[in-house]
Amino acid sequence: MNLQSESRIFSATLDALDPIREFLTNTGKAAGLEKNRIYKLCLAVDEIATNIISYGYNEPAKKDGTISITVKSDHKVLTVICEDFGVPFNPLEKPIPGEKELSLPIEERPVGGLGIMLAINNVDEFSYRYENNKNMNIFHIML
Amino acid sequence: MSFSVSTEISKNVVILTLEGELDSSTAPKLNEEVQKSILNKPDKLVMNLEKLNFMSSAGLRIIIFARQKMGSAARLILVKPQEQVVETLKITGLLSSVSIVDKYQE
Repeated sequence: MNLQSESRIFSATLDALDPIREFLTNTGKAAGLEKNRIYKLCLAVDEIATNIISYGYNEPAKKDGTISITVKSDHKVLTVICEDFGVPFNPLEKPIPGEKELSLPIEERPVGGLGIMLAINNVDEFSYRYENNKNMNIFHIML
Repeated sequence: MSFSVSTEISKNVVILTLEGELDSSTAPKLNEEVQKSILNKPDKLVMNLEKLNFMSSAGLRIIIFARQKMGSAARLILVKPQEQVVETLKITGLLSSVSIVDKYQE
């Protein structure tokens, strides 16, 4: 079966993480993604959604925020677009731990940046745009 | 889907059995158990991950926290983690900080 485009809007609360993964699992399956790649997609989106929920809508004026997720696919690529109206945040501008940080003894390891690192590493391509007051986090998986 | 953790304490060993999905909404539950578990400075903290289907960086932070609090002489043992969880530990450089086993034996 070939999925074309499906969107869903979630409230920006941590309770939404589970239904977001369920939505991605169902649409990923419909697009023919195997289990391991569905897991990776869920992990990548989970990390970005967690950041949006925890920081993007942190200001009182931004409460009651939402995250909209669109999954599109053609024969070659599955695209997931995650949109929110929270504070502008480009994950690609945040320094991610490099080899040096990752090989430090555990006692000296920094904890920050691991989530974004996992988001970028678990899909084939990750990009970010800010348009019309919206953060757009875009994930590509080659089919 | 949900998450649960049960705790077994014997002498110097704490065994936590995790089940379900570990993300930022469920991690506080595990964090609380880990905090309690390491109060008595166990020699080994064993986490049975056989029934853990998902783990985000929220889980990694707990593993790092536990390792940092336990001291280098203590061991953190993960029992039967799923392949994707092992992969996550690998790309974040944490694999060498834990012991992975198929079955825990004292």
